[in-house]
Amino acid sequence: MIVVVGLSHRTAPVEVREKLAFGADVLPEVLARLSARPELSESMFLSTCNRVEVFAAAHHDEAAGLAARAVRDVLAQQGGASADEALTPYLYEVSGRDAVRHIFRVAASLDSMVLGEPQILGQVKRAYDAASAAGTLGSILGRCMTRAFSVAKKVRTDTQVGAGTVSISSVAVDLATRIFGDLAGHTVLLLGAGEMAEAAARSLGKGAKHIRVCNRSFERAAALAGSIGGDAVQWDALGDELTRADVVVASTASREFVVTHDLVKRAMKERKGRTLLFVDIAVPRNVEPSVHTIDNVYVYNVDDLEQQVALGLKSRESEAAAAERIVLAELAEFESWRRGLLVAPAIIALRARTHEILNGELERAFASRLKHLGDADRILLKQVIEGAANKVLHAPTTRLREAASSVEGADWVRAVTHLFDLPERTEAAAAPAPSDRSHDSHDATSGDDEPPTGSRRLPH
Amino acid sequence: MSLVIPLLVEIILAATVGTYAAACGLFLAYLSHDRFARAGTLAPRVLLVGTLLHAVHITASSFVFHVCPVEGIHFALSTASMLACAIYLTLRRRYRIDVVGAFVAPLALVFLLASSLVAMSQPDPRYRRAILPIHVAANLLGDALFMLAFAAAVAYLLQERRLKQKNLAGFFRKLPPLDALDKAGHRFLLAGFPLLTTGILTGVYWAHGVEAGTAADVARAVFGYTTWLLFAGVLLLRAGAGWRGRRAAYGTIAGFGFAVLVLIVYLVKSTPAAPPVAVAVAVAVQ
Repeated sequence: MIVVVGLSHRTAPVEVREKLAFGADVLPEVLARLSARPELSESMFLSTCNRVEVFAAAHHDEAAGLAARAVRDVLAQQGGASADEALTPYLYEVSGRDAVRHIFRVAASLDSMVLGEPQILGQVKRAYDAASAAGTLGSILGRCMTRAFSVAKKVRTDTQVGAGTVSISSVAVDLATRIFGDLAGHTVLLLGAGEMAEAAARSLGKGAKHIRVCNRSFERAAALAGSIGGDAVQWDALGDELTRADVVVASTASREFVVTHDLVKRAMKERKGRTLLFVDIAVPRNVEPSVHTIDNVYVYNVDDLEQQVALGLKSRESEAAAAERIVLAELAEFESWRRGLLVAPAIIALRARTHEILNGELERAFASRLKHLGDADRILLKQVIEGAANKVLHAPTTRLREAASSVEGADWVRAVTHLFDLPERTEAAAAPAPSDRSHDSHDATSGDDEPPTGSRRLPH
Repeated sequence: MSLVIPLLVEIILAATVGTYAAACGLFLAYLSHDRFARAGTLAPRVLLVGTLLHAVHITASSFVFHVCPVEGIHFALSTASMLACAIYLTLRRRYRIDVVGAFVAPLALVFLLASSLVAMSQPDPRYRRAILPIHVAANLLGDALFMLAFAAAVAYLLQERRLKQKNLAGFFRKLPPLDALDKAGHRFLLAGFPLLTTGILTGVYWAHGVEAGTAADVARAVFGYTTWLLFAGVLLLRAGAGWRGRRAAYGTIAGFGFAVLVLIVYLVKSTPAAPPVAVAVAVAVQ
């Protein structure tokens, strides 16, 4: 059974999350600790700025509680002294179907702080690769993760959960793209040299032909220009700069409009009508609102940008229901496969027991009452009995396979085990033992209807 | 003449109309929802198939009915729309105007259907001069380019309106960048203007020679000169006074409107088209 233990932006503030947020360098150590715990058959560790989670598999359904406890211990150890108490109120644990659903939702970015953000899938894939490299994945969790990746892909292609722009900087870039296509041949002018200007330079300035920084303090303009590979210009040259720039990002602390209607009107004459975009992220605003009414000039302030962000988020939320339906459909398929694992050992044991009895009886008969039979007759008789046995076993085998897709699968296995006096282990054989991991990685690639090729695990 | 070949020409025409309509549908689907992203890749391909069918139709019918493709309004309308599609398909990536196909495809369809309303008649031998093919060829290539400039201008105005209203969502959110539309529209206009000038000059010379003077001829000449003046104004004001974007787009749309009026005068003047099979029967009887 799969277990998830962890905390996320939904349950823990950043002060708590940062205690457990480990870098990639610590990952092998955490995985080694998880792997050393006998309660866990498989494990994987996911650490991002918004969540820290361990995905693990218990040896069997009844051991889920023990597995969760083991994960909590490892997390507490990793968090340092007194972390256990500090973390307890924020940690959640889910198991079985809910755990698989949670993993699918995380990979599909339905549990992310910004719904539909694309980074989480890459982070989950990196965690999966690390666990694979450390050998801590087996058939159950490994299969669950590959299903999670296909769920994420399906959600992304079949719904609009990832569409639209949902951050101020991405809206600003989107705006510039809608006007200029790309910024490769264009000039970005930063008005102001503070942190906001620097952040804007990182998103909007990327790919621009020139970045120019204009600030009342030329020294600060020069410092910022130096760090972003742009040119600093004097504040007095603002009028001239407006004739050169294509995108102007205004973020000064001025309490009055820095860019006025008349200034832009004059600049537009010089520019011969070339399009000009103002991204005014300053509060109070730096660009006079009426500038937006000038032909070929566009002014977007913080409120306008935030409105676009809200629209993007709203459109994503409206698509979330469709994405949840995909998750549920894939979850049903995964559960069906998992229940199939439960009945497969019973089917194999039933067939083995039947053939063992028939072969034993035949051998005894060949040694006594039927010893006059020639080789050809013996082979023929064996084939007849083999065929009859297969026919008798066909119905119970089919019923068991059908039962695998229902919740009564476990009851059927118990009944067959009891009726045919099969070895008890067939009931719990679905979960692989840690020592079986090398074989399990092969099982993970089996088709949905294929029983695990692990008859070696069954006692005969 | 066998009836099979004219029937075949008619089938090709129907296939062209169907393919253009399918391209329109795909472009609309692409614009309507992000779920139909694949329609955006399919639409230009379907339009390409339609353009090839269209070219086959023009070639086949000019051979079958012994009409020169650069003589007469029927072929001028049909060829102009085919050329517009061909130019769009060639330049759509370079000019980054993929979605403009959503305007080009319906225009091509309308022009093709309009051409089928006009008879495929031979020009009056009295009017037939060496200059006529040059006049028609220049006009139809010019019309093709103005059709594209018009499509780019309409797309520009829609995109500009969305940006001014600060409404970036909605049906036309996938329109090309504003600058790409403005530049593409300008280039098409710039390329079409010398052709229009050639068309006007040859038209003046030709009309002078044939003593034309009906009301339709006068109206056509007036609309033709107005088209020329409007396009010349758009180009001059852009170069001299920086009239870009919205103003240039409105000027382009007005100019194309007058170019269409010239064609409408032709349509009103021309006799309605008989189905190609009927034409073939008539030719056979003769």
